[in-house]
Amino acid sequence: MIERWKAVAGVTAELQGLNEFLEEFWKEACLPAEGAFPFLLALEEVFANVVMHGTVGTDPVPVELGLAFNAGQVTMTVKDAGPEFDPLSIAAPDVEAPLEERGVGGLGIYLIRELMQAVSYRRVGSQNVLTMSKPVP
Amino acid sequence: MNATFDVVEGLTLVNPVGRLDFEASAIFQKQMEQVIAEAAGRSSQPVLVNCAALDYVSSAGLRVFLVAARAAKSAGIRFSVCALTASVKEVFDVSGFSRIIDVQADLDSAKGVLAASRSA
Repeated sequence: MIERWKAVAGVTAELQGLNEFLEEFWKEACLPAEGAFPFLLALEEVFANVVMHGTVGTDPVPVELGLAFNAGQVTMTVKDAGPEFDPLSIAAPDVEAPLEERGVGGLGIYLIRELMQAVSYRRVGSQNVLTMSKPVP
Repeated sequence: MNATFDVVEGLTLVNPVGRLDFEASAIFQKQMEQVIAEAAGRSSQPVLVNCAALDYVSSAGLRVFLVAARAAKSAGIRFSVCALTASVKEVFDVSGFSRIIDVQADLDSAKGVLAASRSA
């Protein structure tokens, strides 16, 4: 069992550091490089939402990223202190729609749901807590 | 991410390199809009995005492809992407974008298809 946490401000420039943190975790847990992609994608999608939609007063939202590897499964947790928001409440996009009618709303969370095995949301105190997990061979 | 734009063999070839994430997507979208406007002014030449060196795309990056494909369609320009890397292909497939955007296997076959469509 390996578990690592990192806390940052919810501003665009922090994404690169979070990606590097995830990649370091990946190496430390000796996981195959190609398995990191769904987690890097999910991390960006969740973090971008927090950056775009959340502020605490005029300050950026504090964000915590947790990564754990246990029993063949990676679990990624993103906590943010922004306004209550359950991304799983967003309607899935119509992925069958033609080009002219195709929107991009809800596409990020849709990708997360498709690429992860399990996704869950909880509001805990003043934080949104999104947990995503997937077995990594 | 960075991208080069070459006008070659009667088409505009776009070569994005690196990660197309939410930070990179705004500028790439502006560049693509410019490329499509210029291609429309050159006898509606096709625009081909060679994704061989594009390692990563998120929903923000997909939005650029969607906007570009729509702009090309309304300008009467053929718009294709080719040579998707494994993770980019996965995102195109899962999102359904493989069905609404013309995806060619590799650069040579894409050039062939585009040349055939021009002479047809």
